[in-house]
Amino acid sequence: MKPTLALKVSFVAALVATFLLYLFAGRYPRPGFTNPASLFSDETARRIFFSIRLPRALGAILLGAVLGGSGAAFQTIFGNPLVDAGFLGVSQGAAFGAAAALVAGSLPIVKAMLPAFAINAFVSFASFVMALAALGASLALSKRFKFGGQVLRLILAGLAVSAFFSSLLAAVKYVADPLSQLPDIVFWTMGSLTAMGWQRFWTIAPVSLFSLGFLFLMRWRATLLSLDDEVSRSMGLRPEIERAAIAVIAATGVAAVTAACGIVSWIGLVVPQVARIYAGSDGRNSIPLSMAGGAIFALAADGIARTLFPGELPLGIVTALLGAIAFAILLASRSTEMAR
Amino acid sequence: MRELEARRVSFSRQGRGLILADISFKLPAGKKLAILGANGAGKTTLLSLLGGRLSPDTGGVALDGENVGTIAPRSLARKIAFLPQIERLPFNYRVLEFVLMGRAPHIAPLSLPGAPDEAIARSALAELGLAALEALRAGEISGGEFQLVRMARCLAQEAELLLLDEPTSLLDPANAQRVARELAALASKGKTIVFATHDIALARSLADLILVLGNHGALRLGPPAEVLMPDCLGQAFGVEFGMEKVPTAYSGLS
Repeated sequence: MKPTLALKVSFVAALVATFLLYLFAGRYPRPGFTNPASLFSDETARRIFFSIRLPRALGAILLGAVLGGSGAAFQTIFGNPLVDAGFLGVSQGAAFGAAAALVAGSLPIVKAMLPAFAINAFVSFASFVMALAALGASLALSKRFKFGGQVLRLILAGLAVSAFFSSLLAAVKYVADPLSQLPDIVFWTMGSLTAMGWQRFWTIAPVSLFSLGFLFLMRWRATLLSLDDEVSRSMGLRPEIERAAIAVIAATGVAAVTAACGIVSWIGLVVPQVARIYAGSDGRNSIPLSMAGGAIFALAADGIARTLFPGELPLGIVTALLGAIAFAILLASRSTEMAR
Repeated sequence: MRELEARRVSFSRQGRGLILADISFKLPAGKKLAILGANGAGKTTLLSLLGGRLSPDTGGVALDGENVGTIAPRSLARKIAFLPQIERLPFNYRVLEFVLMGRAPHIAPLSLPGAPDEAIARSALAELGLAALEALRAGEISGGEFQLVRMARCLAQEAELLLLDEPTSLLDPANAQRVARELAALASKGKTIVFATHDIALARSLADLILVLGNHGALRLGPPAEVLMPDCLGQAFGVEFGMEKVPTAYSGLS
């Protein structure tokens, strides 16, 4: 029942192997793998390795772990394998915040107030705030709805809030300068780890690690919340409060990484399905393995995004492409964890 | 040992008016009470009131003299286990994982079940003759077995009082009999059992006491031989009842 030791070891080994491959793969001094010896002899190679690839690799691990872990947590607490953090409006809220900040950032008055290096931080901050605002709006709206149970109300509220922020995003795109601002907005919504340096890594690490730690500790509790509310209540849980607490903390982690990296889709949806196939549905196993699997997937996808072509591909394109193919192969070839 | 007492319990719902009025009974520890009534008579509502998940408008429910409405949820879950008529299985959990969830009231929110909890879950499965199923997925076993697995989860909760909503309504006679036998065995070991049903044969064979619900209230309360009379049942179910001998799967239970 428990994932065997071999399964745990294979996930850890795959993570370490992907991490090392990621660190040594690149285009300096020529496309291919960096010779480890050059880290001792070549100052530029050392700088690329420690100042660019290492924080970016760690950022990819955080991004993937947060998206995979929160996806697994959301699917478990809502007893629905087809949800992730995006369905509470977090992604659309983050996208609107970033787009609005990108447009506002080029206004003369804002330019005068903010130094050039602070514009990126301003975009991330606005994105994080709007992601949380969207989450708050979804939760508040779901409490106002007088239709359905808690899960249905949350999904419906998330749909409405997502649509609301999508339309605001479209409005911002419409008024954005098509030559200078619109490409930035489109690029942001495709997701990327290009700007992930040490500073950005340390900005997202505390919130991400807190969210990951909380989800890890609550992984069995999340499993209990997958049962019908009247059952979990009869076991002494307070399902509405506990589900909301897990959803808010999972979504806060997603808001933090999305603010830093843009919208990276499919990891939160696909990775938990794979984890459940290998480790079973119990959150004690599926949530930690989704974190590890998400980290592996994000590392691999970003490795491909930055090395396959001379110019970088946006990460979101690669995750969606790989995710869609993996999804199709998985569902066609393996039995899933869906029940009666 | 748990003694359950309902004192003049009344309950109404907005839009539906009065559902239950003035329900009173006392059930000694280790006894089995059947709540018998037609669809919509308020059986499930009464179970919810007894389990502290609903609060009565007037009156009260006491477990060993303590008002269930004032007991904290986790503490209450260690005293009372509840089995709803049906439940959704959201993921295809393995049987042991599913039964282990019954340990929730004994485990702090940020903790995990340990080896002693797994041992208790295994012994709950063994008690119901389900030990061989523990590694199977809950979606792969039969409906009757799944019903017993859900009961095993209640047993793993280690509560003295079991509230069961229509425990045999979806089962064929063989599985219904198996569930009924296990309930009788549990009561003989000291569990207090309250079950809602519209299966008259089950109530007659299994229960020590039967509470017949009619329109909003108790029509009659007493041992099966006193309660199961054509006039009372006719009033409860709205059809005429005669007395005939028919085969039953529950003979020799109580």
